[in-house]
Amino acid sequence: MSNNKTYAEESTAMRAVSGGVLLVAGLVMLFFAWSYPTGSLNQMGPGFMPQTIGILLSCLAVAIIIIDLRAPELAQGGAMHWRGLIFVSAAIIIFAVLVDVAGLVPSMFLAVIVSMFADSQVRPFSALIYTVIATFLGWLLFLVGLELPIPAFWR
Amino acid sequence: MLDQFLLGLSVVMQPNVLMYAFFGVFLGQLIGVLPGVGAITAISLLLPVTFYLDATTSMILLAGIYYGSQYGGSIASILMNLPGTPSSVVTCLEGYPLAQNNRAGLALFVAAFSSFLGGMVGVSILVLAAIPMTVIALKFGAPEYAMLVILGLLAASMIGTGSQIRSFAMVILGIALGLVGADATTGYYRFVAMPELADGISLVSLAMGLFGVSEVIRNASRRPAANAKPLSVSMRDVIPTRAQARSLAFPIVRGSSIGSFFGALPGTGAAIASFMAYAMERRFSRSPEKFGTGHLPGLAAPESANNAASQTGFIPTLTLGVPGDAVMALIIGALILNGIIPGPRLMVDQPELFWGVIASFFVGNIILLLINIPLIKLWVLLLRIPYQKLYPMIVIMICVGVYSHRTSVTDVLLTLAFGILGYLMKNYRFEPAPVLLGFVLGPLLEDNFRRTMLLYGGDFTVFLTRPISAVLVAFSAFLIVFAIWSSVFDARITKRSTK
Amino acid sequence: MFRKLITALPLAAALALPAVAQEFPDRALRIVHGFGAGGNADTVSRIMAEEMSKTLGQPVVVESRPGAGGTVASGYVSKEDPDGYTMQLMVGGHAVAAALYNSLPYESVDGFTFISTLGQFPFMVAARSGEYDSIGALIEAAKASPGSVKIGHSGVGSTQHLTGELLALRTGAEFLHIPYKGGAAASTALMGGEVDVVIDTGTVIRPQAEAGVYDILAITSGERWPDAPDVPTVSETVADGFDVVSWTGIGMPAGVPDDIADKIRGAVHDALAVPAVSDKIASLGAKPSPSSGEDMTALIEGQVAVWTDVIATAGIEKR
Repeated sequence: MSNNKTYAEESTAMRAVSGGVLLVAGLVMLFFAWSYPTGSLNQMGPGFMPQTIGILLSCLAVAIIIIDLRAPELAQGGAMHWRGLIFVSAAIIIFAVLVDVAGLVPSMFLAVIVSMFADSQVRPFSALIYTVIATFLGWLLFLVGLELPIPAFWR
Repeated sequence: MLDQFLLGLSVVMQPNVLMYAFFGVFLGQLIGVLPGVGAITAISLLLPVTFYLDATTSMILLAGIYYGSQYGGSIASILMNLPGTPSSVVTCLEGYPLAQNNRAGLALFVAAFSSFLGGMVGVSILVLAAIPMTVIALKFGAPEYAMLVILGLLAASMIGTGSQIRSFAMVILGIALGLVGADATTGYYRFVAMPELADGISLVSLAMGLFGVSEVIRNASRRPAANAKPLSVSMRDVIPTRAQARSLAFPIVRGSSIGSFFGALPGTGAAIASFMAYAMERRFSRSPEKFGTGHLPGLAAPESANNAASQTGFIPTLTLGVPGDAVMALIIGALILNGIIPGPRLMVDQPELFWGVIASFFVGNIILLLINIPLIKLWVLLLRIPYQKLYPMIVIMICVGVYSHRTSVTDVLLTLAFGILGYLMKNYRFEPAPVLLGFVLGPLLEDNFRRTMLLYGGDFTVFLTRPISAVLVAFSAFLIVFAIWSSVFDARITKRSTK
Repeated sequence: MFRKLITALPLAAALALPAVAQEFPDRALRIVHGFGAGGNADTVSRIMAEEMSKTLGQPVVVESRPGAGGTVASGYVSKEDPDGYTMQLMVGGHAVAAALYNSLPYESVDGFTFISTLGQFPFMVAARSGEYDSIGALIEAAKASPGSVKIGHSGVGSTQHLTGELLALRTGAEFLHIPYKGGAAASTALMGGEVDVVIDTGTVIRPQAEAGVYDILAITSGERWPDAPDVPTVSETVADGFDVVSWTGIGMPAGVPDDIADKIRGAVHDALAVPAVSDKIASLGAKPSPSSGEDMTALIEGQVAVWTDVIATAGIEKR
């Protein structure tokens, strides 16, 4: 997939977005770190490092914004992979939510089948067969082979 | 030294001991391939088994798992961009592009062979210079560690393929992420948005997210190019050419030296070593533009470094009885349970154990090389499976690996968050590797810097008056000057060429 | 499977597995602990799990839920069903946490059914060999020039750290407390000369003392320790009544029926009676000490009181 925007179409705001996010991160960090005690030089408090790092991060972010605005190339490297992003995220969230409740086998099964749909050309039937095999292999590896202390099913 | 080493060899060459050495490295290699399920999990799982073995055999088995997993870690990094340990992050940088260019076999071969050479150098240092290295390691106090870490961070900001300022911002971002959790010096909670974060973000989450998950998101719908050649697994495509081999000699020598040195310092270890080795290759390479695209010296140097480090990492463990990291602590625990108190007297009181274990490293590295070369074919065949069939398994391995690490659902969700972050970062030309090193080194820097200030009453001159620290400061200064000079120089060249 | 494969290798002793059908444990039990894989807590858990699975006739799985000094695991266990299938391996830090944290997601004493302590161990005060003649000399030096004697400890809020603070409070000496990440790092700093004293467990101190690197100046238990009868106690030398002993023990969520708690306690005591197990506990520097639930509760209540006092007086920041 190639980028569908040309240099001229990329607006100023879009060019500054990555540096901007970084700047926001730095400022949020400073906002929280400001209340942490800094202590003295020989008894440094827990706030010294976060504040230093927050300031440094914000300054670097500003520098990056300036560089990006003047750069001769596109700021964004490629188009977004929305399908992959959505289904892979969903699969991981499903796993995380289910594993403590339902056990390893059901959560693996659902995570695999959902993640299969990140591929745009997936066929439901073969996905199902694949999922069964993958879940079985996962069970074999993690529970039989490695004896990880995770229950296979709900209790 | 040599006759003691021969004594050790005679211990290892007993068939049953040899079998455990083989099993240890083999299992370690397998475990290392699984992301997240690290050597610690494997060793603690096998700990009860060692109750039934004698001390030497237990130690050989457990140590084998440890350095075997270093070999395995590079396999997952090369094939799937999944760094199981921080030290294999650098392996991803050159190894994964090689695999994507159909050169996975070559990458695996070079990685295995440089690992082997690095491991052998590490063992040799262990045999010949364990005691002097211990003396040097003890000279490293808080000021020296602080300066060493700064040197490492500077090196890290030079490993990116893009602009230095972007890499440096990522190092800082990594340090920021490393600040989350209870402050090590006072216990004060920083950025603890939920109680699960009290101990900070898990390194496994960060590495698996930034590298593994982001890559799956990007490639889930990738189709093999219509005109792609079928993957070749013939030995000719796996073994480097004579010219390639020659270009690797010095990187391996440099990598092994760096690795041997850093490994012997308790608490720093393989991660710094591999990053430093990579940064050094890049800095002093005549063709730095090739790095990041699958450049073999950039693969060989860190691979030899982290394996050398994982061998010399046993120096403080064996000579002082002081574990350098969690894995070493576990191995020492196994020794204690066998009724042997590891400490300075180990070498004198238990020569068979001491030298037997060292000799087992020697033998173990040979075994690893021997089982690795034939396995390359198998691993490359794995890549014949279309990515569409492979990635759901990768997702599951990441999920289970991360979850089992601390039995934490939060860690799994954080892995996803870092995956998305890593994906977006790459879209905007930010590198993930410096984030990881900043994350690993940041806490070390803060810890040692604050301890220095506490110990020396806030006096900054201590960094210059202590000789080792002063040398490290000089190195850092040199790196900064070099970086500025070369970027000015580069800018001039680009200006001239665009005119 | 890998574990079984290795056990099945030649020379590995065969495991005796008596399969007695019983009512209470009809499925696998768990020992949860709050520390990383491979720490002492993990090791003790695995030793106990291995032995208890034999007496209980069901597998006992070890589960590590590390975080915030073990409080994540305590919070988790206290909310589990009190059906007897979830145990927690606790350490002295359980009492420290009760004193150190502003708010905990559980009741440190009432939230649990305490089963039995497993082992108790003192701390040792050590200095580089030849540096100080006795603990008395150390205290004198610290008093002569306040803040000049540096004590390395294994982390702010660790029992080791609080023991050092308690020593300062009771003797009136003033130390500079330097935090390290774990006892091993503190010990390395002592060897390298960065600090003057380290207070830690026997596993950290004794190998160095036996090699002549360290002198053990004193031991923190109220009475001399059977394992090291020549070492004077802090109590008999510089601070009368000084008694710090840390421990490991087994707890369960509050409300476990008595018969089940007794059964588990029986299994714990049986395991501790097996020489192989007690030897291993002893090799970790602890004295095997099976106890009743009441004794364990009393021990924890007493320690919570002491540490609350130390934290308040020494001005250690609560979390």
